[in-house]
This record gives sequence, structure tokens and C-alpha cells, in this order.
Amino acid sequence: MESDYAIDTTGLTKVFHTRWTRQEVRAVDGISLGVRRGTTYGFLGPNGAGKTTFVKMLLSAVHPTAGSAHIFGKPAGLPEARRPIGYLPENHRFPTYFTGAGMLDFYAALSGLAAADRKRRIPELLDRVGLDRWGGVRVGKYSKGMLQRLGLAQALMHSPTLLILDEPSDGVDPVGRRHIREILGALEEQGVTIFINSHLLVEVEMFCKEVAILDRGKVALSGRVRELTAGKGYRLSAAQVPERLYDELKQRAAAAAVQDGLSDFHFATREQVNEAVDLLRAEKCEIESVIPTTSTLEELFVKTVQK
Amino acid sequence: MTATVALIRDTFREAFARKIFWGLFGLSTVMILFFLFLLKIDIVEGAMATVSLFGRTSNRANDLEKLVRGVYGGIAAYLYVWGMVIAVFASSGLIPSVLEPGRIELLLSKPVSRMHILLGRYVGNVLVISCNVIYLVLGVWLIFGFKTGIWEARFLISIATTIFIFAVLLTVVVLVGVVFESAALATMIAVALMIMSAILAQTSTMLKLLSSEWSRNIWRTLYYTFPKIYDMGRMTLDAISDRAFIGYMPIWSSAIFGAVMLGAALIIFARRDF
Repeated sequence: MESDYAIDTTGLTKVFHTRWTRQEVRAVDGISLGVRRGTTYGFLGPNGAGKTTFVKMLLSAVHPTAGSAHIFGKPAGLPEARRPIGYLPENHRFPTYFTGAGMLDFYAALSGLAAADRKRRIPELLDRVGLDRWGGVRVGKYSKGMLQRLGLAQALMHSPTLLILDEPSDGVDPVGRRHIREILGALEEQGVTIFINSHLLVEVEMFCKEVAILDRGKVALSGRVRELTAGKGYRLSAAQVPERLYDELKQRAAAAAVQDGLSDFHFATREQVNEAVDLLRAEKCEIESVIPTTSTLEELFVKTVQK
Repeated sequence: MTATVALIRDTFREAFARKIFWGLFGLSTVMILFFLFLLKIDIVEGAMATVSLFGRTSNRANDLEKLVRGVYGGIAAYLYVWGMVIAVFASSGLIPSVLEPGRIELLLSKPVSRMHILLGRYVGNVLVISCNVIYLVLGVWLIFGFKTGIWEARFLISIATTIFIFAVLLTVVVLVGVVFESAALATMIAVALMIMSAILAQTSTMLKLLSSEWSRNIWRTLYYTFPKIYDMGRMTLDAISDRAFIGYMPIWSSAIFGAVMLGAALIIFARRDF
């Protein structure tokens, strides 16, 4: 039966054990996530949040301790479930004995693409990622950005309907990033589901329609990017804020942080920020600035993972 | 089928890139050339007058046949001992290299089962070595055949036995590679098995020397459990020299050992997280 979801997980959990003490580490803790067909989905989280482990479970490189994962309705553990997936891993290590074209040929053959189709697709894809003159050159000679683009071409060789990209623009220069965004944009128009695991919040915000923020193995926040970042607000910076007052204002604020001796608060309404100013001035705190802001994914991210 | 061919081709490509294939090919060529120039035959009016090899000269047909068989036996023994060590050493890196972080994840993301990936690599590795064994044995056989007129087909048995024993030893390399991801350890264990095999093969002598029944049982268990590399080598020599055959036990017991090792490697590989 056709599923409405490209990715569908229920209570997906992965527990690792430390080697000697057998201490439990819950890398992924009961994640239930639905990624609709044709959407662009950003998967965010601080280092060690469990993003890569989650992705590896989708690809069956890591076996779940509990829960289940389905790709287009098929259990992720089945090789057949991986047929529609194009994957670009983080920190990939392509064998250096391949030429660019040879590498595309090998991985496309593993995806089941026939020799004639591979022969046709290789120059097409190399051209698409801007490596048309590099197909005959050994991968060992490629720069980091070129390897990333080649990796993207590899992921696209068999015309996947689900693209899972782990840090796709890692090491790519700004022009290359724009190029990658254009390629992904075109794929989105074709109805390809794109799942991006990235640290580059601005990119995710620009490109993804939906997002999930992972923290300590759990989904801390998820939803449509437009809705999550819709609220306008005010950023208030103040110096010499007593701890008691800081805690009180943190409760009222949408986000709070201490940086370089300044306490930063983000308030959703003008009334809230005025009240905060009154309280701070009553305690003789120095107001550094009050700036109107629109909520960004970055602020949302910081707020979510600092909770 | 496309994926299987791709995995085998990839193993060849890596063997070429690591100079493994060309290294073995070069060694085999040196050996073939050695015999090409070493074997001197004088032909007098269509018949062989004398044959000179390793400084020894023969002018009798019976001696000549014995000499050629002796040389075949020597090559088979060389292949067995040094050829096998070189082959294991050369192949040991081909399994752990696939398991490198950043490479294995991409392989596993493809619609190919883990068993398929490991078996593809294993078969590719056996074929790389097979090409070299066939090249060397066939090359030497052709040189001797053309130069002496003696076409001793039994020498070609060493192709099958050498490849068979390499395939058995490679299962150990695969298992150690999958568990420890160490090429050096895989080589050490495979070579240790070869040495152990030569010691364990002295079963009839050792059973007389061992005093207690339990120690004799341990010896028998070890002998029947481990691959019979030494015995298989002796069988090959016996076959080449047209001597009595010692039976099929070394073949099937080695095959069982290989199947168990490969099975264990496949199970561990299927269960591992990468």
C-alpha cells in the first residue's frame, strides 16, 4: 500500500553501551516522526543530539534498539526500502582509486541502474553539479567542495524519490552552495522528498518547509518553518542583571541567554519588553539595547536546545 | 546481478590501485621467465638429446619425466607456502578497507543486502588471486610442455587446490576483518593457521608420543577442526607425482571450516552497527 509518508518512524530508539562499564547511552530516544511525500524537511540539533544515528537507522546502517522506521511504507530494514533513497553521508570517504565517472558508475550499479542508463546519466549528472570536465580525474585529486558535489551527483544517479543529505553544503563555497540549492529546488519541484540534516540553520530556514529540532535524542520541537518563525518580537540586552531577576525574566521571555556579560532576552510582545525594562531599571540594571526582531530559526534553535 | 558484478569489479579495481594485482602478476611473470630461460633443451634431429635444469643434465626420457615432475612439485610447494602467504598478505587489506567509516555507510544505503556486499567482496578477492594462480601455473606448464614435449596435466591440479585453500584461508581473513577491522591481525592469524596446520598434520606421530587419552583427543579435535593446508599440499604433490591418494577428508573438513568461518563473518557483519 502506498504511504503518504516518505519517512515514518514510531518510537525509534537506539541505545549504545560503553565498552567497559556497559553504561547506557540513549543516542535516539523514542522518535516518532512523519515526513510527508514531496516535502523539504530540515533535521536540526546540536552535536551529539542523535541526528546521524537517526539517519543511519533509516538506512539500516544502525539497528534500532526499539521502535520502527518505514520508508514509503516499507520497513527500513529491507534492502528494497532503500531503492528510492539517494544518500549523501557526512564525512564521506569515497575510494580514491575511482575517477569521478567511475565512482558514479559503481554506486549507481549498486542502486540497480542498468549499464545503458548509467552511461547516459553519468555525463548528465557531472554536468549538473558542475564537474563535467572532471569525470575522468581520480577522486583523490578533488577538493572538499568538489567531492561534496560529486557525492550529490552520486545520490541523484538513480533518480531517487527520497533524498537524505547529511550536511550537504559542508566545505562548499558560497557559489557552490547556491548551485546546490538550485539543484535541490529543481528536485523539490519534481516532487522529490528532501530530508536535510544540517548545522547551517540559515540554509535550512531558506530551503525547508518543515523542520524538527532534536535534543538529547528526542524531538524537542517540530513543525512548519513558516509557523515556527512567524512571531515578531523584541530583543533586550542588559548588563548587571541579578540572578534572581534574570531567572524571573527568563520565565517570561521566549528565549534568554548570557553572553559576554550581557543578559539577552527575547520577548514576543511590546508590553512584555516594557515590563522587563521597568523591572530592570527598578534594580538599576543598565539597558544596553532594545531591538525589534523577527523570529529566526536560529533563535528558535537556541531557545529549544537551551531549555 | 548488476550489483554483484559491480562489487567484484570494485574489488579488482582496488586490487589494481593498491598494486596488489600487479605485484602478484609481476612475481608470477618473474617465475615464468625464470623457467623460460633456465630450462635448456638441446634437440638433435627432432629428438631431445639433453635437458639441463638447475645445473643437472639428463639425457634419458625416464629421468626427464621425473625431473619435470620434480620441478612441478617444487612449484606447487612454492605456491603453497610462499604464494599463499603473499596472497593472504596482499588480500588482508581488502576487507577492512570496505568497513572504513564514511565508505561503509554509503554502501549500506544501497538496496543490496549486507550478505551480498560481503560475499561480493569475498568472491572478488578469490578471483583476483585465482587470475594470478592460473597465470603462473598455466604459464609454467606451457613452457615445460613446449620445451620438453611432456604435457603433464596433473600439474594443473595445483590450480584448483591452491585456489581452494586460499578461499578457505580468506574466510578467516574476512572474519577477522569484520570483527577487528585489522589487516595485520588477519594476516597473522591466517599465517598462524598455516604453521599450525603443518604441526597438526603430524598426527600419527604425535598420537604415539602423547601419554594421556585426553591430550590425544585434544590433538585429534584440533586436527579435524582446523583447515588441512599442509595435507592439501601433500595431496597436490602426491597427485602430481602419481603417488597414492590419502582420501577426501582434508578437502571436506577444510571446506566445512571455511563455511563456518564465512557464516560467522556474515552473521556478525549483518548484526553490526556502522
